[in-house]
Amino acid sequence: MKDKKTELKFFTIAAWDKEQEYLRRMHRAGWRLERVGFYNLYHFVRCEPEDVVYQLDYGPEGAAEKDAYVRMFTDCGWEYIQDYAGYSYFRKPVAEMDGHDEEIFCDDESRLELLRRVFVGRMVPALVIVLLLVVPYVVPALGEPSAYSMVLLALFLVMLGIYCYIFVQFVVRYLRLAHKR
Amino acid sequence: MDAHIRKVYVPMTETGFYILLCLQHEAHGYGIVQQVESLTRGEVRISPGTLYGSLSKMERDGLIRLVREQDKRKVYVITDLGREVLGLEMRRIERLYQTMREARAS
Repeated sequence: MKDKKTELKFFTIAAWDKEQEYLRRMHRAGWRLERVGFYNLYHFVRCEPEDVVYQLDYGPEGAAEKDAYVRMFTDCGWEYIQDYAGYSYFRKPVAEMDGHDEEIFCDDESRLELLRRVFVGRMVPALVIVLLLVVPYVVPALGEPSAYSMVLLALFLVMLGIYCYIFVQFVVRYLRLAHKR
Repeated sequence: MDAHIRKVYVPMTETGFYILLCLQHEAHGYGIVQQVESLTRGEVRISPGTLYGSLSKMERDGLIRLVREQDKRKVYVITDLGREVLGLEMRRIERLYQTMREARAS
């Protein structure tokens, strides 16, 4: 029986809770996350099936003082796994919790702060990239319509569509949290 | 105290309040978690992500200051501005409590 496996998974910018659930599901099935690697490859090692909560934090303030940051989490019983693409990965077995699921955030104020950080660190740069592709390539190509410019336009529209989809996902999440308060 | 501080911290989050309450004496993050847990008989558990964010914000706004770092843990203490904010918050909560008692009694 194989002791290691690797899965390729993509989660959109606003879907880190889906990623957390995925990692928890894997651990429950006896696959412990070893590391997340380049191009979203998730490396797992076989383990005893256990209910373990996985949590992601993104770009906390003063992240230069990484040691003190990680220490606070380990003090509270969270194992620090690694950083990947600006996110920090933590996990904690449910057995070590007090009968209820713990999270690394305990109020909606700080959950909103996390959303804001991801927005500034991910959504805004993504928009800049999309626009940088449009202005120099698509706009001149439209001046002289050809099969080539149509392909470019189609590509751009697909990218913009994906971006809008993620953006709406993000806004819905934000509003839901903001209204709950 | 400038308007910004007042706007952001009065009223403040439960976590923020407990941080200032505990930091009337020097403490590190996990020390605050433990103190709050025992003060509230285990009912309030501050999570590390929320705590880290609040401490950074409060340090930046000058409500608390870093005393030293020991064993990779940052030890903080409240500042004069922090005491002022805590005082305002305590008076607000006392008034709230009083009003609630009176409303319940009538």
